[in-house]
Order: sequence, then C-alpha cells, then structure tokens
Amino acid sequence: MYKLTICHLYPDLMNLYGDRGNIITLSKRCEWRNIDVETVTVSLNEEFDYEKYDIIFIGGGQDFEQTIIQDDLMRGKRQRIIDAAEEGKVILGICGGFQLLGKYYKTQSGSEIECVGALDLWTCSSEARLTGNLVFECDFLKSQTTDGYVVGFENHSGKTYLGEGVKPLGKVIKGFGNNGDDGFEGAVYKNTYGTYAHGSLLPKNPALADHLITLALLNKYPEFQGLDPLDDKLENLARTSVIKRVLADKS
Amino acid sequence: MKNLLKKMRLTAAIIITKLAVIVLRLLNRGGTTFPGKIALKICPNILSELSDKFRVIMVTGTNGKTTTCRICAGMLDKSGIKYIANKSGANLASGITTTLIDALSLTGKAMVRTALLETDEAAFKTVAPKLKPEIIIVTNFFKDQLDRFGELYSTLNYVRDGILSSPESTLILNADDSLCASLGQGVDNPVFYFGFADGVYPETNFSSNNDAPYCMNCSARYEYSSVTFAHLGHFKCPRCNYERPEAKIECTQVLHYDNLTSTVEIKVPDGKFAVKLALPGLYNIYNALAATGLGYLLELSEKDIIHVLEGFETGFGRMETVNVMDREIKMILVKNPTGFNQVLRYMMTQNNRCVVTLALNDKLADGTDISWIWDVDFEILSFMQNKIRFFYVSGDRAEDMAVRLKYAGIDEELIRIEHNENQLIDKILAEAGENETIYILPTYSAMLDIRQVLKNRFNLKDFWK
Ligand SMILES: [Zn+2]
Repeated sequence: MYKLTICHLYPDLMNLYGDRGNIITLSKRCEWRNIDVETVTVSLNEEFDYEKYDIIFIGGGQDFEQTIIQDDLMRGKRQRIIDAAEEGKVILGICGGFQLLGKYYKTQSGSEIECVGALDLWTCSSEARLTGNLVFECDFLKSQTTDGYVVGFENHSGKTYLGEGVKPLGKVIKGFGNNGDDGFEGAVYKNTYGTYAHGSLLPKNPALADHLITLALLNKYPEFQGLDPLDDKLENLARTSVIKRVLADKS
Repeated sequence: MKNLLKKMRLTAAIIITKLAVIVLRLLNRGGTTFPGKIALKICPNILSELSDKFRVIMVTGTNGKTTTCRICAGMLDKSGIKYIANKSGANLASGITTTLIDALSLTGKAMVRTALLETDEAAFKTVAPKLKPEIIIVTNFFKDQLDRFGELYSTLNYVRDGILSSPESTLILNADDSLCASLGQGVDNPVFYFGFADGVYPETNFSSNNDAPYCMNCSARYEYSSVTFAHLGHFKCPRCNYERPEAKIECTQVLHYDNLTSTVEIKVPDGKFAVKLALPGLYNIYNALAATGLGYLLELSEKDIIHVLEGFETGFGRMETVNVMDREIKMILVKNPTGFNQVLRYMMTQNNRCVVTLALNDKLADGTDISWIWDVDFEILSFMQNKIRFFYVSGDRAEDMAVRLKYAGIDEELIRIEHNENQLIDKILAEAGENETIYILPTYSAMLDIRQVLKNRFNLKDFWK
C-alpha cells in the first residue's frame, strides 16, 4: 500500500482563504484510492524535517501573520525549504505562501523584505488590490479529458515578477494573475508550484490535485504506474460552471 | 450667506429624501438606501449636520449585530425611550441617512430623539465621527468578507479609527475577544466590558477555527485558561501580558441549556441575577450580555433587564420559522465560518428528521470570494447523516457547495443541485415528511431570492421583518 505524508506549514497563521480545503482535497483523493495519507502540521518554533514529507503546503496569511512567521522562517526553515525544492519535493504555495517562496517582497516604501528564495521571483507591493475570479490555462494539465483550465479566486496587492529560473504555471485567460501586466499566473520550478489562486484551489481543479499526488508518488515509488480515475462529476461541474460564468462576464 | 446656503442645502436634502421615501413606499418598494444616497449627494456633510438632533447608539462588529440591536431595542422600549432604528440591510452611510431623515419633520426637527443604529464595520469609520454616538457597542471580530474588507485587522482598524475620533462615547466591548477588547486599551472613553467568567462555558470547543491565535501587540501565542468558541475566551499573552480585561457585565454560570433556551446567571456591577434566554445557541448569550450593558447604562432595574431578556424570542441570528404544508421551514442567514459553525452546532442539537438546503451566492452583498466555505466544519454533519434526508444546494455557487459537502464526507447520493428557486421549494417540500424540518441556510442575496419565492407562493405576508 502506498503512503504519503502531507505537511501543512503554519496552518494556524497561513489559512486566510480556506486554504485547508487544499489539504482536505489531497487527503480525500488519496483516501478514495486506498493510498494511506497522514497530515502533519508544522508551525512556529517547530522542527521542519522536510525529508519526512512528500507534499508540503503553505497557504496565504494576513500581513500581521506574515510578519510573525518571517523570523521563524529565516531562523531555520528557510534553508530546508530551499533544499526540499532543489531535491524535487512536491511543494505548493498559495497567495502569501507563493510570495514567501520567492526572493523578496518590496514594500511601498521601497524596502525589501527577504523571503525564502526557493523560487526565482519577487513581489512588489502595489496600490491596487488585484481581486476577483481567476482563470488560467496550464499546458501540462491538458489531456483527452480536460482542457487544462484552472479556476480560482485571487486577492493580492503584491505584483509578482518571474526570473529566468522559473516557468509560469499558466497563461491568464481571465483575471490579473501574477502582476496584471504580463499575462502569466503562478510559477513552477522542479516540483514546486506557486499560485495566487485560492478558492480553495484544489477541490474544483482535480486534475491539478492529481498531478501533485502523482508527482509525490513517483518521487517515493519509482515503479508507480499512475492514479486510478475517480468519479469527478461534482468537481468538474464546479470547475466548468465557474469558468463559464467568469468568461461570460464582460467586465 | 454661506450659512444660509448650507441651511438651504440641508433643507433641500431633507425634503427630497422624504419625498423619495414616500414615493418608494407608494410603489411598495421598501427603499432604504436609495433616498439616503440622494441626500448624501445634495448635502455630503449631512450626517454631521444631523448629529446634534439625535442621541445615537451604534452597534457594530462582524457577528450578532442584528440580534444585539433587537435586544437593545427592547431595553430602550423598557426605559420608555422613543427611538428609531435602521433595518439590518441598511447599515451603510446611505441607509443610516435614510433612517435619520425619516425621523425628521419637513422643517428638519427630530420627532424622535434617539437612534439605534446597526452599523457596518467599514462604514463605522466614517459614520461614527460624524454622528458622535453616545454609546458604541462592538460585538466581536471574525473573518468575514475578506474580498471587501481586505483583512481581519483592517476591519478592526476601521472600527478603531471610528472610536479614536469619538473620545466622548461610552464603549461596550467584548472582553473575551482579544481583538475587540483591544479597542478599549489606551483610550479615555468610559469602557464597559462583557464576557463569560473563566471556565463557565459548558460546551467543548470542537471547531478548528481560531481567527486570532497570536498577540496583536507582540506576536506571542496567547495562552487560554478557557475558550468559549473560535478565538473567544480568557486569553493572556505570556510575553507582553496583554490579557482579557475584567468584565463588568459577566455570565458567571450557565445553569441550564437545551436546544432552544439557556438559563444563565449574569453579574452586573451592583448585583447578580438568573435569567432564562429564549435564544438557541450559547453564543447568543454574548448578544444578551452586550444588550444588558446597554440596559445597565440606561439605569434599568434588574427586574426590567430580566423582563427584556426573557421576553426576547424572535429567533437567533436571523432565524425565521414558517410552517408550510405541515412542514417547518427554518431559514437562517449564513455569512462567515464562525456564524455558520454555530448554526451547524445548533442543528446538531435538534432531533427532527430534516432536509438541509444550502444556498451560496457570490454577489457583492454575499462576498464575491466563497473560499470561506472551506473553513466551515461541515465534517460534523456526518454525525447527523441519519437525521438528514437530503442536502439541496442552490445559488450561483451551488456546485462549489456540493463539492464542499462531498469532501466533508457526505454521501454524494444525498447531494442534489437545484438552481431554480421555485423548483427548489417544490422539491424540498416533497422530500421532507410531515412535521419534519426544512433548514434553509442561505447567504444574504440568496436569502432575498428564496424569501421572495416563499412569499409569492404561499401568500406569506412579511412573516419576517
Ligand atoms: Zn503580547
């Protein structure tokens, strides 16, 4: 029997937009396939021994909470997150968690707050909040059964820019994406994924959820052949109905 | 000359607004915000102009505003004070302006002097400094509509700004909420705190939901000697010593509680009394305590306060009950995880077989971001699956809700999607057996839609106000 361990980083601080829905989704989709799954939470002053984990998740937080974890990250977890990313662990960062995986965050006053630096990207604070439904297209998710469209909700004032070392996660179809200018959303490096889309993201984008589970299983079990399909009628209904509404909305 | 012009503007604004109210009423459109919008256009400073005419009591906070206002209304009635109050849907500047102008004569004289105003947290910041409230009641702060307010701490800061420019106001604040209690720190206003005494809340807290676990002053993790629900309780910061302040109005014992009522002992500065609250859900005790604070400030006798609290029974939050074809329909507004979790807990205490309807919209009034449904503990519904015949999901985001239920462990066979409100009503009435309960849990705009259908179909005249 396969087994995966999911690590939820700072669940008490970085769970602004129902982020735990992503954890619930990863666990349930494993459970339904008889893959044993354990969820571990790691917060302030707690050991982050990344080698024990197969999927690492970090969600979004409010400014107040992000400043709290800043010290904790820089004290020790930072290097471990970089190592985890380099070794090809599956990591998903959403919203604030996505920004934190980058190199720095530049505030309104121009000072740079150092971030983890696992991903070659940076974020600049902006006046406007980029808020609304977000649809983007991921080539790697396209298959006979899905169009590769991912849908979520974005709400961020930072504008993120990608360096040479990462690829965008997808092309924006509707919404702002990373910065509202270059038409890209999120970032990928090895098996580390970052995106502004919450909503929660994974429940109604089952192809993306399964993609992450597959990568984690392949890491751990090189002989792994692929996931059994599930009945995703409701999930796909949720996904397509929002996409339809969002794309029909002219504003 | 300038003064005269100002006065003319005010008079014009009053007259036109009153006309607009009359016209809308004639058209049978209970317009509560539109007339105020006109008034604010004609005379942008109208609220300041009106402030001298009224003695204002404001109620704000994320959850429980409406219930608290209603109990406060009882306190005012008991004191023999005539007052006007806004409808809960009219708690922005425009609605408040309409409400106040409605209480003026054509010559601009206040026919009623006291105004009890439920006020939206973001609007509070601008409205409070203008109206100079005599009393400000703040219920609590939970995560709510983040797409609109930004963050929980910005919501708190809106209210803080409003209070900082109202140094004369007496504050009634929740002592158990570290965010709300902080509003009373370092200000010169007279402050009355309310809360639960340490360890008297009788339920174990099985929600994972804590909106504020870390000290807002120094970021250390709070230690709690007891928790009532979410982040409310006896908190203390081990680093900077910020702690739950002493409460003048306190629930010192819960003597009895069942699924509809609770009997509690309440301590006020000069005594203690037991009172039976006809309000389901223990969290409603907080609303009763806040209103007791007002009763105390109005110098009501213990007997009178008890009378008001015991006589209040129009429902909790905004629960509305109506019987249709021998089925009991309970409609309860849901808008954020904390409130929703309380509704689910209430449902757990009920024994009737039931049909559950969840209607999720994502319009501005509901919050355009629906990710909060993942913070609601729907998982507890699996404990009562044998009582629930079906789950119907409706509204713009019905499918998202269906997915949420599926991942909460609800059998997919029991989940039905129905967007059309008329068919929804037909189906839930058909599925529920005689004398069974139908829960309808809608977000704000979904509630309006479903109400309209119920009203038209069953000729129900204003069974809710
Ligand atoms: Zn502290």
